Amino acid sequence: MSTETKTAKAKSFFKSPARITLLIAGLFLIISLVESITGSVDISSPGTSGATLRFAIPLLMAGLGGLWAERAGVINIGLEGMMIVGTWTAAWFGYLHGPYVGILAAAVFGLASGFFHAILTVKIGIDQAVSGLAINLIAAGAARYLSGIYFPPVGGDRTVSPPVETLPSFTIPFVADFFKSIDEKNIFFLSNISGLLYGITRDLSVVTVALLLLVPLTSWILWRSKFGLRMRFSGENPMAAESLGINVYRTRYIAISVSGMLASLGGAYLALVASSVYREGQTAGRGFIGLATVIFGNWRPSGVFAGSLLFGFTDALRVRQAESVMSLILAAGIVALLLAIYYSVSRSWKPAGAYFGIALFALWVNQKVDTIPQEFVTVFPNFATLIVLTFLAQRLTPPAMAGMPYRRGAE
Amino acid sequence: MSNVLEVIGIEKKYPGVIANRDVSLQVREGSIHAIIGENGAGKSTLMKSLYGLIRPDAGQIKVFGSEVNLKSPQDAIELGIGMVHQHFKLADNATVLENVILGSEPTRFGFVVKYDQARKKLLEITKNYGLDIDPDESLSNLGVGERQRVEIAKVLFRGAKILILDEPTAVLVPQEVDELFANLRELVKNGLTVLFISHKLDEVLSIADDITIMRQGTTVATRKPKETNKKELAELMVGGELPKPKAGELKVSSESILSIKSAAYSRADGREILHDVNLELHGGEIVGLAGVEGNGQSELIELIMGLAQPSAGSVQVLGLDAATTLTREIRNAGVAYIPQDRQRDGLLMSAPLWENRILGHQFADPMAKGVWVNKGAAIEDSKRVVDEFDVRTPGINVLASALSGGNQQKFIVGRELTGDPKLIVAAQPTRGVDVGAQAIIWDHLMQARSKGAGILLVTADLEELFSLSDRIAVIYSGTIVSILNPAKTTPEDLGLAMTGAKSA
Repeated sequence: MSTETKTAKAKSFFKSPARITLLIAGLFLIISLVESITGSVDISSPGTSGATLRFAIPLLMAGLGGLWAERAGVINIGLEGMMIVGTWTAAWFGYLHGPYVGILAAAVFGLASGFFHAILTVKIGIDQAVSGLAINLIAAGAARYLSGIYFPPVGGDRTVSPPVETLPSFTIPFVADFFKSIDEKNIFFLSNISGLLYGITRDLSVVTVALLLLVPLTSWILWRSKFGLRMRFSGENPMAAESLGINVYRTRYIAISVSGMLASLGGAYLALVASSVYREGQTAGRGFIGLATVIFGNWRPSGVFAGSLLFGFTDALRVRQAESVMSLILAAGIVALLLAIYYSVSRSWKPAGAYFGIALFALWVNQKVDTIPQEFVTVFPNFATLIVLTFLAQRLTPPAMAGMPYRRGAE
Repeated sequence: MSNVLEVIGIEKKYPGVIANRDVSLQVREGSIHAIIGENGAGKSTLMKSLYGLIRPDAGQIKVFGSEVNLKSPQDAIELGIGMVHQHFKLADNATVLENVILGSEPTRFGFVVKYDQARKKLLEITKNYGLDIDPDESLSNLGVGERQRVEIAKVLFRGAKILILDEPTAVLVPQEVDELFANLRELVKNGLTVLFISHKLDEVLSIADDITIMRQGTTVATRKPKETNKKELAELMVGGELPKPKAGELKVSSESILSIKSAAYSRADGREILHDVNLELHGGEIVGLAGVEGNGQSELIELIMGLAQPSAGSVQVLGLDAATTLTREIRNAGVAYIPQDRQRDGLLMSAPLWENRILGHQFADPMAKGVWVNKGAAIEDSKRVVDEFDVRTPGINVLASALSGGNQQKFIVGRELTGDPKLIVAAQPTRGVDVGAQAIIWDHLMQARSKGAGILLVTADLEELFSLSDRIAVIYSGTIVSILNPAKTTPEDLGLAMTGAKSA
């Protein structure tokens, strides 16, 4: 018994936030080291961290939307379409009545699009993928059609809305200045961290802050509230939930509607915060990447947040310098080397060898290649993400009945 | 002691069947009351009535002395009746506590779950009743016995005073059964009442204070374990008189159709389902496989059909090694298979009858023509099956799902008996069909036998077993415990052998 408790404790430590913090700090130490070697400070520059956050928020919203739906047992492929609903309604109502009304409109129409998905999948029992796909196609088509009617007369274009008034943003007083001052002093590690923090404390949109709060709120709902418990059981074992008097249909209706609202708010962010217009194709597949962050985050809000930051980072990097990719390769090499040492100590020779090979390759690239082709810069982040997902995929615990059709009274 | 639960003259009819009639039951407070009976004796129907899952057509249910009208499980729960289902209704990806409190969460402001308070209450319950479970353990780490304790805790958490356990030992290994019995004794010591459904006589005699026996939908007797014995219980369960075996000329050939030698089978999770099974079947005879459901019959059929591989021993079907031969080849060699679950394994419900006629024969003449199926032949032969087996259908183009259960069954039997098979594996061939259809199916099976086919008849229907079988093999907890001659077998012998009371 005592050994069991011990292992359980050890396990929970490795799953704990402390471990994650340590890991991030370690990773950052390596990046600082690499940056001091190469002299490029782009990765930890305020510009990169700020861009990462801006790119991450829409993914986060799509991811949280996916999480709400899947936790309740329904896969929402329609996130992309619901984001389009958000971009269009936010821009149009934002143009007519101001950006706050735009956001409200996006929330309402997103809720409606989620409700539509719920009617199709929960009530009628259409295949969840088919329904989601239909929503994607309908949303894209409707947005194009309505843009052609409404935008040109008011100074827009067939594919672009007229500009919307921007939302206020603020810099956190003192805190941001403090980080800025340290960043400028060029102290190893501390300045790098401060640079990063400066990037996410300056020019913050109120919407960003509000949306970020949805992460702890979702966690709280899932694990503290009655609705959250019932929602999770609707996704894990709806038959059990039904047998205990829980209305699985109603739970799913609510969860999927919220899912649509969250995705739509992600779209509103794209139209009102990340830019100030609706543009056709603005969502650029972010709904699907959001779906990936759900898997990456193991169906947990904090995990979805981490995933959206990672994908957001890769997005941000794409628009920045090629040297930073070289730094990342070097950092990856060092991480691989450390992992190789770790596995050698625990005498698992196969992974040790593999990581050693990766480390060697990274160092070789760093020594031999002067300039990295732009194509590779574009692809590298996706490549890195793919590797991360591959390693993570083995320990996932998805909701047991997500994606499975459920009919009331089924055994 | 007073009666906490009283059932007076309950009756429940389904179209064509009387599931319960004239059922009466008195359950004393603080007792373990066992209800025994064969499959189909009406135990489950009675329990469903008591838990509000179905409503009886007639009769009274009295709980704590007052008559009640149970419309839903919620009504039953409010009255203090809890049901521990045979198939657990739990979620793996959640903790024990979450599984227990779901649906009756203590809350603050109606939406914040008071987990601490719930945990305290659960710990109190587990301590009081000696249920060894940790509230914060993830359910995925728990074994079957622990899961059952979670189910019991779930019922107790809702304040149940009367617990109904539906065949709780069916999924447990012997040590877990002992643990469960210890838990149940603890429960009744604390004043709760337990209704225990089973068909295992040994268990019932060791745990129950009262035993009520059901047969053919009605309660036939109530006994105290001290005043009875296994023999009497078995006789009461099976009934005094059994149908006489039909006199038919037996022409057993020397050819071995099916030869199973010390076969064993273990599931992927390591649980042994079958061990040391020996069975010989010759052409021209019908061997009935008798046993209470869940004693390894399904797995034995899977071994014969090559759907599963034995972990030890050998299974020879028509001279082929079933372990290494494809199911398709086994079937092509002349094996017919009437599966026990017709809708899952026997038919494509959303395909027309003539397509269903092809199933299982898709590679053999006349259903196959090169790489194509022969639609014409399929349609023609479907018509023949419909005529010969009196399948009531508007036509052969209707979907299989449009037919009633009995007609579906007749169609399957007709399909399988086509083409003079050498071995017929017939699992519950007449389950759910009316008397007329039963006679047709029996007649065809007897015809196949006189043509020299060997038939393995797996059935829960004693009349069928005694009318058709030339020999009866009794299977109990994964092995064949005795081979009986139906002409010389008394119902007691069979009942005892089926419930493991005696192994010959």
